Amino acid sequence: MSDHLYEQLLATTTGLLLLTAVLQVWGRSVTRAIRLLAIQGLALAGLVLVVGLHGGERQAPPVALLVLLVKAVAMPWAMARSARLIDQTKEAGSLANPAVELIGAAGLTLLAYAISGPLLGGQADPAAQAAPVGFSLVLLGFWQLLIRRSALTQLVAFLLIDNGIATIAFLTSGGLPLTIELGVSLDVLLVVLILGVLVVRMHEEQGHIDITELRELRD
Amino acid sequence: MTPDRLAALVDVGLLAQALLGALAVLFAVVVPRRVRNAASGSALVAVGVAGAITGVAALLGAPAAGLRIPLALPLAGPMDPMLLAPDRLGAVFMAIAGMVVALSALFGIGYAHGAAASRTGWTAFAVFAVGLQFVPAAADAVTFLLAWELMAGGSTVLLLADHAVREPVRRATLWYAVMTHLSFLLLLTGFGILAAAAGGTSWATMAGAGLGGPVAGVAFVLLTAGFATKAGLVPVHVWLPRAHPEAPSHMSAAMSAAMVKMGVYGIMMVVLRLLPEGPRWWAVLLIALGAGSALYGILQASVQSDLKRLLAYSTTENVGLVVAAVGIGVLLRDSGQDGVAGVAFLAALLLAVSHAAFKTVLFLGAGSVLHATGERDLDLLGGLASRMPWTATAFGIGAMGAAALPVTSGFVAEWALLQALVHADARADRLVAVVMPVTMAVVALTVGLGLLTFVKALGIGFLARPRTRAAADAHEAGITMRAALAVGSLLVLALGLAPGPVSVALAGAVPAGGVSTVAGTGLVLDAVGVVLHPVGLTLLLLAILVPLVVVNVVLARRHPRRDVGLAWGSGGERTSPRMEYNATSYAEPLVRVFGSSLQATRSVEVVRHEQSPLLVSQVAFTQETVDVVEERIYLPAARRAERFGDLARTVQNGSIHRYVGFSFAALVVVLVVLALW
Repeated sequence: MSDHLYEQLLATTTGLLLLTAVLQVWGRSVTRAIRLLAIQGLALAGLVLVVGLHGGERQAPPVALLVLLVKAVAMPWAMARSARLIDQTKEAGSLANPAVELIGAAGLTLLAYAISGPLLGGQADPAAQAAPVGFSLVLLGFWQLLIRRSALTQLVAFLLIDNGIATIAFLTSGGLPLTIELGVSLDVLLVVLILGVLVVRMHEEQGHIDITELRELRD
Repeated sequence: MTPDRLAALVDVGLLAQALLGALAVLFAVVVPRRVRNAASGSALVAVGVAGAITGVAALLGAPAAGLRIPLALPLAGPMDPMLLAPDRLGAVFMAIAGMVVALSALFGIGYAHGAAASRTGWTAFAVFAVGLQFVPAAADAVTFLLAWELMAGGSTVLLLADHAVREPVRRATLWYAVMTHLSFLLLLTGFGILAAAAGGTSWATMAGAGLGGPVAGVAFVLLTAGFATKAGLVPVHVWLPRAHPEAPSHMSAAMSAAMVKMGVYGIMMVVLRLLPEGPRWWAVLLIALGAGSALYGILQASVQSDLKRLLAYSTTENVGLVVAAVGIGVLLRDSGQDGVAGVAFLAALLLAVSHAAFKTVLFLGAGSVLHATGERDLDLLGGLASRMPWTATAFGIGAMGAAALPVTSGFVAEWALLQALVHADARADRLVAVVMPVTMAVVALTVGLGLLTFVKALGIGFLARPRTRAAADAHEAGITMRAALAVGSLLVLALGLAPGPVSVALAGAVPAGGVSTVAGTGLVLDAVGVVLHPVGLTLLLLAILVPLVVVNVVLARRHPRRDVGLAWGSGGERTSPRMEYNATSYAEPLVRVFGSSLQATRSVEVVRHEQSPLLVSQVAFTQETVDVVEERIYLPAARRAERFGDLARTVQNGSIHRYVGFSFAALVVVLVVLALW
């Protein structure tokens, strides 16, 4: 793989990651957010493959396949199933209006670019230079956690943070060994499955999945 | 036995205590309810006896190799191995703890009921007992603090025993838990400073570093504050009058007679072993703390009508005297009077041993009364002497000890303290010239008030006629309880009658020379040139008393007693129980004299007859005394803490978004700070 092609592929995949994240903040449809999550998983798998192949790692294809299966297929499927079961396709409402949401997202992306330079040091490697995308994903995920009310969107936001962390890991250290990636991915998958069930139960018990209503403190 | 054999015995004894403690826990957990008291209690008696034997062996023998605790702690910095190896001072306190644990456990076999007899109850007692006996055996700070926390944890759990039945138990436990943690934190900081400055955690390293200056000063203040909290000295005594009354009585005895002593041990260890070159203000601080506690404690005790609360305040008094004695020793040592200083240190140990003996008896006696009548309010007792002769006799001996009357241990101990005070040479040293007379006055006042207090406790509680049905229906305690009371009283008398051998042994634990024994039992203090021979004195007294009693009896036989009826009694009784002196009325003059420092509030409620306002149908009198320290210092502090807590409540309101927002803000701030660094 030539350097030029490598940079092009890197830019494409990371750009796709950032784009899907911003679109997730922008939109209000839960089903669309889940679809975007699947695309994001695809982009992440591509990123893993590109970085791994360029680095000459033989484990790259299986890791990429794993990421693809877990993040682009299994998790979106589980979440879409939960959403279908409780018939929730639209976000109930946001705590901020769309303009504020997007301005906040833009500000956080800028912040991510501003801080990742000093944090990671001036590395010439194009992969390391793309690392701000990972930081953006983490911050945007947090931002969604803050402004959204539906438990399903919270879950999407949580996965966005996870994707961000994975992106940073792949871009800065050239990827994780297969076993560690396997462990982390399956953990997250388990969390998604459990929370998916929880969301369904919550809807059954209370008739809504708005977490702002959950504020009774218990000892 | 040779010193080396004794040292080997110490090693075996340490191991035996740990194993027997584990056995007690095992019994507590697996043995069925019926025999649990007997099984677990007996194992704990064995733990106590093993502790007492180990303590005595360590006091008389050569330094033992000790018991290594094979525990790897992931601690950074210089760490000496964790070791249990009592030195002579520790040995004294280990023997005290063992003796008290054995007696309380023996008493507990018959006494423990309800939650105190549960699996948790006995397990907690076992953990407490082992921790208590290992505190003075620890040879390094980490082991010490570990044992200290075992002791604190076990006692807290056992203190909670009756929490389901009585509300004050919960409050008392809260106070105790807070104060005991405060104490632990102070100790941790203090030992941390010493360990950092000396480059090691073992006592030997700390003592060998020859620390001085501000570092030693700060460590001394922190450690003294921490140990004072455990010892129940004013102003950190507040947990004591709450926890002792609410704990099961065998536990009160163990806490008051042994656990509180660990605070004393700590203070003595710091000034005698770890930092022996302390400046004079340390001594003045200790004397002020001790004398203040002694006076305040006995003053509060003298006006209490709750028997166990009275005993708890009296503990503050006794511990105050011990610490004052230590302070006097340090001051005299500093002014070059090593001989008299040794007498003061010896007096401190005698006071500690004596207090352990008589306070065990008193608390166990109070437990026996509580067991028999369900009451601990002196105003509702009375007439127990004829119904509970064993308990009454034992309590009487204990009360004599607490009032420092002759033929008991209390007398010997306070006599030694007064010898040190009297024989201090004040001519060369102005500070000594000021401190000694003031301390002597305080000790004298304390002894006087102590006498009043225990005359009240014994007289109102056990003599006269029963004031309530419960007191009239009282029954004698069971066999194990009586055995514990009898052994305890014998110890009080033994130390009072034969102070010589005990003092000679104790003198080996502190820098006190010239202590010897005369005629097998008497005590000779060469440093100050005095002799105490209680057996001789007792024989002399008997020689005078016996003819008197004989004459009296003979005369009484000759003139049989006549019943004199009341002249205008219309067949009524001479006195009814309601006309007797009770605890409140007995202490009334004291409340008047010391009114301002006791802050007593009284109210008299008169209920008039419906038909005529001139006729009174009922008069009720209530009197409450306030713990001034608690009122002025602790309650405002607690209120302020609560206000701070309310502030925190406005920050957290249960909204998940708010919590996520906090994390998010923290993350952004950290990232920005890292980027700007």
